Amino acid sequence: MSSPLLWYLNRGTGVVLLVVFTLTVLLGILATHRSTSTWWPRFVSQGLHRTLAALSVLLLVGHAATAVVDEYVDIRWWQAVVPGGAEYERLWMACGAIALDLTAVVVATSLARSRLSHRAWSVIHLTTYLAWLAGVVHGIGMGTDASTPWLTAVTAACVAAVALAATIRLLAVARTRRRRLPGPPEDDWALVVAGRGERP
Amino acid sequence: MQPPELVEVRRGPLLLAGVDDGAELRAHRERVGPLPAVDLARLVDVVGGAAVRGRGGAGFPLARKLATVAGTRGRRPSRRPVVVVNAAEGEPASAKDEALVRVAPHLVLDGAEVTARALGVGEVHVVTSQDRPAVGTAVDVAVAERAGRGLRWTHHRAEGRFVAGQASAVLQLMAGRPGLPVTSWAPAARSGHRGRPTLLSNAESWAHLAAVVLHGPAAYAASGTPDEPGTSLLTLTEPPGPTGRVACARVVEVGHGSRAATVLGPGALVSPLLVGGFHGGWVHPREVPHLTVSAHHLRSLGLSFGAGTWISLPEGSCPVTETARITSYLAAESAGRCGPCRHGLPALADEVRGLAEGADTRRRLRELAGLVTGRGACAHPDGTARLVATLLDRLEDLVEDHLLGLCGGEPCRTAPLAVAR
Amino acid sequence: MTRRVGDDRRRLRVDWPECRARGLCAELLPELLVLDEWGYPRVLGPVDPDRTDLAREAVAACPRRALHLVSG
Repeated sequence: MSSPLLWYLNRGTGVVLLVVFTLTVLLGILATHRSTSTWWPRFVSQGLHRTLAALSVLLLVGHAATAVVDEYVDIRWWQAVVPGGAEYERLWMACGAIALDLTAVVVATSLARSRLSHRAWSVIHLTTYLAWLAGVVHGIGMGTDASTPWLTAVTAACVAAVALAATIRLLAVARTRRRRLPGPPEDDWALVVAGRGERP
Repeated sequence: MQPPELVEVRRGPLLLAGVDDGAELRAHRERVGPLPAVDLARLVDVVGGAAVRGRGGAGFPLARKLATVAGTRGRRPSRRPVVVVNAAEGEPASAKDEALVRVAPHLVLDGAEVTARALGVGEVHVVTSQDRPAVGTAVDVAVAERAGRGLRWTHHRAEGRFVAGQASAVLQLMAGRPGLPVTSWAPAARSGHRGRPTLLSNAESWAHLAAVVLHGPAAYAASGTPDEPGTSLLTLTEPPGPTGRVACARVVEVGHGSRAATVLGPGALVSPLLVGGFHGGWVHPREVPHLTVSAHHLRSLGLSFGAGTWISLPEGSCPVTETARITSYLAAESAGRCGPCRHGLPALADEVRGLAEGADTRRRLRELAGLVTGRGACAHPDGTARLVATLLDRLEDLVEDHLLGLCGGEPCRTAPLAVAR
Repeated sequence: MTRRVGDDRRRLRVDWPECRARGLCAELLPELLVLDEWGYPRVLGPVDPDRTDLAREAVAACPRRALHLVSG
């Protein structure tokens, strides 16, 4: 089946996904920020992050589905999940498949979070950055509207925002590692001057 | 802080009966005879009848722990029991486990062996501290003497840290992770090493079990009282000196119910006494002569027997200053993993130092003690808070004196704390 | 501490080595969780049956999975 509607849906979900996924990543970074305020408690960042992540998944599924169903271009369903399997625009499709695969794993591990160690979950969750990047490259490479000024501007804004937020996050992490934890004084307190009676 | 430089061990009625005979297996067997095989049900019975309590500090009934392990065990690999001898004596002022393992290692190992065989287990783990190398050596020698009897002995060496002897820290060490406490969601007897039912007990506890099995319940109950048969090991010592090391610790074996006067010297009977080591409680000089070596009695006084370390202040010492030193040490010994402990103990130590220097920080001290209690993976913050609380509650008049610049009616001879950096 | 038979009240327990004082739990359940001066949560009491859902939310909100709802 082929119709312009499917094509528009595919493009539309792609563009909206770019923005929503970017917002998800940004909120995820914001949620790790130490400070909190009365008007924006941490659970709001976390809740929005999770909600937008869910929305991203829906958009991603819709985006992949419309591409597969639309017969205008021959894309089989398995080519949406196996990077490099597509004949049509092999490289950019591979990026898309990588983005989808990584997102699937991240979401699955988050849903089953109580069964995983925090460390394992955390390492897998970091691959979201890769998923996001793969998606952006996929869009730039094969997006129908990629060359239009407005989408170029939107993409640039998304990339800039994530780059900035990720840099701030990296610096904060580096600073935490370098900063010494409060507490244990390392010197020997026993070298205290004290008068004492004769020891028997 | 290092363990005591010198450990004096006095001969005792049960555990320390063989002090003069040497630590070799042959001498041990000559004195106590062969190690019988005891089936599990009888072992639980006999240990329960003798009311043997754990000697690691918590005082948990050993028979109940053994019964839990027995009940939880099964055939699957995840249900095979584990037997652990904990001789990692983290408290620097304590020397009773060191003394026991160096003087009577085979009594300790007998206890573990008879239990391992009763549980159908072929391996026993022994944990010692790197801080006390002589203990590690004694274990290696004793284990080598017992080779070829179908039991595998695995020796783990814990770091010389205060918290390294804590049960979950030991289990972490055995699992190949850093030997620091973690949150325990189930008792080790149900789910310990690799989730298996683990019987982890203090070295002295194992020795008591062996004594009951080897000598029989009647002989064991010849010491002590009907409520508390048997004996306990005590470490009697004074606070560490300027070198940060306890000069001499005396280890004695005392029948339960004995009065303090039979173990403490005349000087110690009129000084403040810290019962239970660094996580214990202060006892006022006027109450010291009335103490008895009895977990029941101490509990009725609001004190805990702990690991049986009694620290008495020499003349001219000030309990406030000593508490400041001890809390500084304990703060430095925090594993640093749990927020309230990592932040709260240094703050607590600061305030006690302030008290020692003459500032009335008592309200803040109580606040901090309340904030750290029960909010950690182990009892390190609780014990530290308890030490401070007993200083304020039980030595109230001495604290008041100190704040007025007097100690025991004389100007406090302890100079203001100048911490060397 | 005595346990009444048939007492199905739950309580919140913090896995202290995991807690990093992020504070989301206290934001969601201020009646039972307040932050101390260093940002770590203090559990004020047991969880009543009508607060169980909120408690579960607080448990799910912890980014380190350091808050647990246990029975007894």
